[in-house]
Amino acid sequence: MRELELYFGPQHLGMVGNFSITLQVEGDRIVKATANPGFLHRGFEKLMEQRTWIQNFPLVCRINVVEPDHMELMYAMAVEKLAGIEVPERAQFIRSIYLELARVGSHLFGLWAYANMLGFDTVANWAMYHRDLILDLFEELTGGRVYHIYLWPGGVRRDFPEGFEDRIRSTLHTIGSCVPDYDDTFFHNRLFYERAHEVGKLSLEEACRMGAVGQVLRATGMKKDIRKTEPYAAYDQVDWEIPVRTDGDAYSRIWVVRDEMIESVHMIFKLLDKLPKGEAYQRIPNPFKWKIPENEVYVRCESSRGELGLYLVSEGGDKPCRAHFRTPSYSHGLTILEKALENESIADVGNIMISLYITAPEIDR
Amino acid sequence: MQYELRSMFEGISTEGDGETRVTVKCRKETVITMLSFLKKTGFDHLALISCVDRINNNELELVYILSSYGGDAAMQKLNILVKTRIPRENPQFYTATEIFRNASPYERELHELFGIFFRGHPGLTPLFLEREYDIPPFRKDFDTRKYVKDVFDQIPFVDDKKGRT
Repeated sequence: MRELELYFGPQHLGMVGNFSITLQVEGDRIVKATANPGFLHRGFEKLMEQRTWIQNFPLVCRINVVEPDHMELMYAMAVEKLAGIEVPERAQFIRSIYLELARVGSHLFGLWAYANMLGFDTVANWAMYHRDLILDLFEELTGGRVYHIYLWPGGVRRDFPEGFEDRIRSTLHTIGSCVPDYDDTFFHNRLFYERAHEVGKLSLEEACRMGAVGQVLRATGMKKDIRKTEPYAAYDQVDWEIPVRTDGDAYSRIWVVRDEMIESVHMIFKLLDKLPKGEAYQRIPNPFKWKIPENEVYVRCESSRGELGLYLVSEGGDKPCRAHFRTPSYSHGLTILEKALENESIADVGNIMISLYITAPEIDR
Repeated sequence: MQYELRSMFEGISTEGDGETRVTVKCRKETVITMLSFLKKTGFDHLALISCVDRINNNELELVYILSSYGGDAAMQKLNILVKTRIPRENPQFYTATEIFRNASPYERELHELFGIFFRGHPGLTPLFLEREYDIPPFRKDFDTRKYVKDVFDQIPFVDDKKGRT
């Protein structure tokens, strides 16, 4: 049969985000796929070298649109390590609660994209509505819905307002009470199984070889989570489980996302119960005159997509010398996607791409 | 770990707390052997390849950050930073794509942003950029503000074109 070259994205309807894939197809089978990033390259890391340590916060949160909070955490943690700032215990707990809320919000957004792509519009709208409830919480806490700039070197920008803990609890109860509805209409639906089962399959060995992290790795059966292996914030203060599946296909990946959301909600309840009293931030030096001693640091955390890292170098000045973000979508979108698309049908491109949780701004930066 | 590395390789120096981060500085000939040795020892996850422009020393510093997938708890906590320096003029290095599959996009990125040529890389095509630059844009001597002014000041405003200034 004749081979054709097809351009999938960035204007294609099935594409989420500014990303494009060139497909070599034979009939409707994909022979070879090549990812083309760069539609959203803004050179943030270069821009960061021209701004002071504090001025960089509005930049870093824009690296990932869906969950800016882990980017803030990474930058705040790196600056703390370079400058030797201790974070108070209450701030550590607030950070964990805030990051888990962000994780649930980001997973709901992912569920919206996935359900929408499969044609489950009802479920997609539910997910978007429930994400909006979480954004309302963020708006009350920080003043912003999408970009919050809430984490700060030395803690968080402000303490929880009066009665905020109860509002977190009631919002999470509202979302949690809908889990049976989600299960009936989507997760236990035969159509979802038929569309996602055995699609975009990765073995554990392949996933490790190509640098998979996060739920892509956990869906292949490996129990790995940075929150357990190298705990930060207050993740070592409470008990929680790492959800794992073994099949490594799109079906398992979406199930891991569902289980992770439920685990996160349980974790927030436990953290709220143990929330200590005290200061929520540590004073930092005058940001306009703040110079950080010459050093370098690599910090990492578990974002909702997997291992997120930041390599930050200081040369003793008031600005960073070099910042480089290690983003989970980078390996997922450029190495694994190309492999996972081989021998699949054109109809499953969006299916595989969204189940790998690829966000274009994270790749391009 | 650090003793083992120092006894096996010549001319390297290690530093770090030994628990969460270890930095290994080595000569550029040693890096690829070092990476494949570390991979066999269990540090089989390449997290990042980064580059720092040390313009004062006229050198580029390459940094490979490794961690472990399947090791025990102590190993999983550890990140190894393998560092080396190469000259800034006509920088060339060896590819790590044969050791780590996901090294390929990182090397393409460093090729276009820092101008490092990775010998043996299967396809060193541009990743993000669509224009050619005289100086690779992430080097310290590339002035972003000057570039923006030079490029965008040449494009006339719509009003100027219509003669309605």
